[in-house]
Amino acid sequence: MSTAHPEHYDVAVIGAGLAGMAAALFARERGLSCIQVGGSGGILFASGLLDLMGVHPVVERRTWHDPFAALAALAQDEPDHPLARVDAASIRAAFESFVAALATTGLPYAPLGEGNCSVLTSLGTIKTTFGVPRSMAAGAEALDARSPCLLVDFRGLREFSARQIVATLADHWPGLCHRRIEFPGSGAAAELYAAHLARSLETRDVCEQVIGLVRPLVGDARAVGFPAVLGLARSADVHAAFEAGLGVPVFEIPTMPTSVPGLRLQAALEAAVAMCGVRRISRVDVQTLAFAANDDDATLELGDHPNGGRGERVVARAVVLATGRFSGRGLVADRDRIREPLLGLPVTQPPSREDWHRRDFHDPAGHAIHRAGLTVDHAWRPLDATGTPAWPRLVAVGSILAKQDWIRSKCGSGLAIATAWSAIDHLARELRATASG
Amino acid sequence: MKYALFLGCKIPSGLPAYEVSTRAVLGHLGVELVDLEFQCCGYPARNYDRDAFVVAATRNLALAERHALDVLTPCMCCFGTLRHAIRMMTEDAALRARVSRSLADDGLVWSGRARVQHVLPLLAREVGVDALKAAVRAPRTDLRLAAQYGCHALRPSEVTGIDNPIAPTIFESLIRATGAIPVEWPRRLDCCGDPSHEANAPLSGRMTRAKIVDARESGAEAICTACPHCHLRFDAAQAAEPAPAVRTLLVTQLLGVAMGLPSESLGLPHAESQRGVPMSWS
Amino acid sequence: MSPALFQTLLVASLALCALGVAWRVAAWFRIRIGPDARIVTAWQRVRRVVVLVASSLFGPRGLRVLGAFCLDALLLRRLFANAPWRALAHLLVVSGFTLLVLTHALAPLVTARLVPGYQPTLEPWLFVRNLLGAMVLGGLVVLVVARWRARSRMGLPHRPRAALFAALLGIVLASGFLLEAHKIASPRAFHRMTDAFAGAADPSALASLRALWAREFGVAFDVHTDTVAADVTTAGRRLHEEACASCHAKPASAFVSWPLAKMIAPVAGTLDAVSADAWLLHLHLLACFAGLALLPFTTFLHVLAAPFSLLLDAAARHGTAPARPLPLAARATRRGLSVDACVRCAMCDLDCSVATLARHLDNRDLLPSHKLVSTRAAANPWRWDAMLRDARARADARRAADGAFLCTDCGRCTDRCPVGLDLADLWDAGRHDLAAAELPAPAAWVRQRPAIAWAESLANAGDRAALDVIDASRAPLAFDRRTFSRCVQCQTCTNVCPVVAHAMNADPRNAADQGVDLTPQKVMNLLRLGLPDLALGSRMVWDCATCYQCQEHCPEGIRVADIMCELRALSVQRLAAVRDMAEPS
Repeated sequence: MSTAHPEHYDVAVIGAGLAGMAAALFARERGLSCIQVGGSGGILFASGLLDLMGVHPVVERRTWHDPFAALAALAQDEPDHPLARVDAASIRAAFESFVAALATTGLPYAPLGEGNCSVLTSLGTIKTTFGVPRSMAAGAEALDARSPCLLVDFRGLREFSARQIVATLADHWPGLCHRRIEFPGSGAAAELYAAHLARSLETRDVCEQVIGLVRPLVGDARAVGFPAVLGLARSADVHAAFEAGLGVPVFEIPTMPTSVPGLRLQAALEAAVAMCGVRRISRVDVQTLAFAANDDDATLELGDHPNGGRGERVVARAVVLATGRFSGRGLVADRDRIREPLLGLPVTQPPSREDWHRRDFHDPAGHAIHRAGLTVDHAWRPLDATGTPAWPRLVAVGSILAKQDWIRSKCGSGLAIATAWSAIDHLARELRATASG
Repeated sequence: MKYALFLGCKIPSGLPAYEVSTRAVLGHLGVELVDLEFQCCGYPARNYDRDAFVVAATRNLALAERHALDVLTPCMCCFGTLRHAIRMMTEDAALRARVSRSLADDGLVWSGRARVQHVLPLLAREVGVDALKAAVRAPRTDLRLAAQYGCHALRPSEVTGIDNPIAPTIFESLIRATGAIPVEWPRRLDCCGDPSHEANAPLSGRMTRAKIVDARESGAEAICTACPHCHLRFDAAQAAEPAPAVRTLLVTQLLGVAMGLPSESLGLPHAESQRGVPMSWS
Repeated sequence: MSPALFQTLLVASLALCALGVAWRVAAWFRIRIGPDARIVTAWQRVRRVVVLVASSLFGPRGLRVLGAFCLDALLLRRLFANAPWRALAHLLVVSGFTLLVLTHALAPLVTARLVPGYQPTLEPWLFVRNLLGAMVLGGLVVLVVARWRARSRMGLPHRPRAALFAALLGIVLASGFLLEAHKIASPRAFHRMTDAFAGAADPSALASLRALWAREFGVAFDVHTDTVAADVTTAGRRLHEEACASCHAKPASAFVSWPLAKMIAPVAGTLDAVSADAWLLHLHLLACFAGLALLPFTTFLHVLAAPFSLLLDAAARHGTAPARPLPLAARATRRGLSVDACVRCAMCDLDCSVATLARHLDNRDLLPSHKLVSTRAAANPWRWDAMLRDARARADARRAADGAFLCTDCGRCTDRCPVGLDLADLWDAGRHDLAAAELPAPAAWVRQRPAIAWAESLANAGDRAALDVIDASRAPLAFDRRTFSRCVQCQTCTNVCPVVAHAMNADPRNAADQGVDLTPQKVMNLLRLGLPDLALGSRMVWDCATCYQCQEHCPEGIRVADIMCELRALSVQRLAAVRDMAEPS
């Protein structure tokens, strides 16, 4: 394997979901050398929308227009919630930085406002979110204004029905209408898939054909909505071409995971991380993580080398644990308890399995298992069995943290980005201190 | 750096320019190449009989091991196939036992010591982009190239490991080192279509043509390849046309030209592919 | 043998030979190997080839072509490069035999006309004949030993009547040497000669002559019937000078026959009594005639076919610069003569890139030397139809055909072939023929029926034993439930699959361009449900480009593409068994 990269790093990020990616980007921003291990497949479940704080309290299902006000309320009601520990200015800075990095890789977001946006989804529901991709922004505006709007779908793209969306929103948004068109060249196919349409639209010919099919249908509509298929690698270009060609604002509607925006986000983050000089090792697990006796550094032993040789070793002065929850195997649920598999860190969890779930799957209060996770100190360091930090420069960020229910709070991205920002901030200062001291 | 050169089956008969240019460029850069009596990497047998495939692949590795050499190949399919065989031998003990018995009949032993490398990461990492830049005498600032990463050396990354599979950069770095300009093209990581050709020629043809159109629309005048399958597939898809929409250029030819090596030693200008698509780079 | 009988036999065997050669050569121009060969007629081929040869030899690069031809056909350059001993032996046999034919068999026409006073019993003919004979015999022995040593685990390809012809050649040589040895030692031959040429000589001179001939010419007189003087007198010598010397040199230089004569000396009288000379002569001649008549029907037709093949090869490689493919008519002819020019030397097998596969799969038809014979057989429509009607033969043919598609077209066999066969072109044509004869590559025959039909066949297979219990060790991922326990059917694999993407644009008017039947995630689902047989016959399994996008993107780390590879290998085994069972025998 390569000997061109140094074996020693300032920061080793374990995990490549949103939190891990954010941590890697922020580490580089602070001038720290960084290695990142783990597969980014989890990002494929993202919708492209960046939630900050949408619902609080969870049990009341109360949505907020102002996420920072929601966060303030959260800080009062749940002071142990991870997001309660990050100040508003830092959260904003984290989001701006994250979104800027995405913009450099061709995935621009609409300017972050003061409040949340309401965005139409492919189910016809309305979702509250903070960061909206530019290609979806016009939809939020059209929804706010309830302006006359055309929704277009494609025969064969079974996951998206414009007619169903219009029917679901008939009372709320009367100005919405729908049309169906045939995607060029797809006559023989019974079923189409979003990613293929998206890639196909990056060809000039196909793009022009679709625009040509839609233009006569626009009529009085003041905006046109499509399923999120406007390009994969060149989504900004395709979106611009559609707006120019149709003469009205064009917006994408996020589709069910795994979706094109999820693919875009994964590609953009991998590119961003590559561009800023993070050493990236994907699809190889960390076998062991051991800390030096004198606490100077940590040694990660990676899984089997692709050439069949001994696993590679990496030494880092700080470690960020961003391994996520159950689907990414950051947490593992055995028959009777939940454990953290890499270091065996104690997991804050309900006393017994019987308490994991409530009886009703849709219980508004959610389920206790989703609030299980790692408990950390003010510097984001997970605590060991004695209640002290497991290691001076080991931090945990993102959804692995305890005392949050990101799905119901609609705060997944915020949790990932904000905690990563704050944790890296702490680490950066700590590393500077130890370097000079 | 010393390697046993594994050419595979496609290069000697279908794309001799790749062998010639590889030897010229690597020789110039001080990489020593040894020729052993290799056979097919086993790629077509993988679709036919798992054990036979692994025996065929591992035999080559055992041969290299006997000579205490690592294997270097210019073909991405051979690279991926050999690496897959190593993985299977490592993971499946029963398979390993069966294969070892077969190899013993020929007096060969596999213990996993022979590593497998491909010319692209060798140039970009082991030799290094800086060393390449220093060796460039005639920067090709006139060339806009679409880097063809191919599939079998890039994915699955836990087996191949040459670069980030979602956002690879080594090929573009290498192109930049020669002074040429790598273009951004959306389909850059798509498959060229070659493996599907036998089963479904029309489908394969569409895959190939989509990439060609994409490269052209992104402003590339040539696709820079590092695998004979990709290279020959792009040529075959354009063979019926009077002039190809996008030319094909081997990465070793690009480097050789930039380093000022004579054209004949790189298989240029008689670099005609299987279908006689001439390329001239004066 | 009476001159009339000799003439009749000679003419008859020459005629048979000529007819046989004509028939076989005609086949080169008629045989159709490869679908493209069907569009050129035999006459077109003849014309094209004549034009090609003429234009190559008399064109601007004629000397190069001629030079290459001479090096390969006459000096056996390629054979020397691969097997120097066999090449040397072959040269000995060819040159020895040719010169024997010229100087010995055709002596009255050739040697007698060129050399005044020619007698076969004079020098240097005694020596030369023995030398040439020894060369042929020695070379033949080396070739037989070399072939025996070259036998591999896979066996050497069958050569039509090679043993017969070689035996005939052996008989010709052996009978020739024996005949000469007998004549040397035979007292009756001596008597015949003396009666004819020294009838008036006096007895003492004759006795002295006998002594001379006994000592220096190896005659084994029976002292009971012939008087042999104790010494050779001057009179005897003079008699020899007058009556014998002009036609007889001392046969000691016949270094094979002379010792042989010494060996048979004790039984010389017996041999005379049974007219061994007549027997041996008849044997010698009949063997020659038989060989001549049989030549076109044995592997030794290569004496004509191989040089012709090398001529065409020289024209192809050197006739133009840069080398261009030959016109179709010429290529079709080269294919047609391949099995006759092939000497079954099996040099092509030496370097074969898939030799290891051939051994492991125990499928000889993967090796070029065997594949050539099968390819040629496939071009014979009657044999083919008859074979396809027999179920067992059909199954064997299918297995062999599957092997033909494992050839990687590496071209090493073509480079090595000492008789200049264009094997690469032959394999390509052969594969098309197999496909047309309903023996296409697995990727093609699987698509002949929809997945559900295959599943039904598998379910209804009467003879389950023939299906083999699926050996899970051969498909470890596909049959391990744990592989799929994390599959949430998120459709990521389908979304990143280029095959599904481009199948979207299938042309419904083109039967060869069918769309998707099962997407990758559906295949994974069937395996997850423990229903592999429903997925095995799916087109997706073979359309798959193994680009590994699915496996790379799968959020749960499921090895989708690896599993597709396993399914392919599995489908070849299981569906092949059912394919034979499904059809009436």
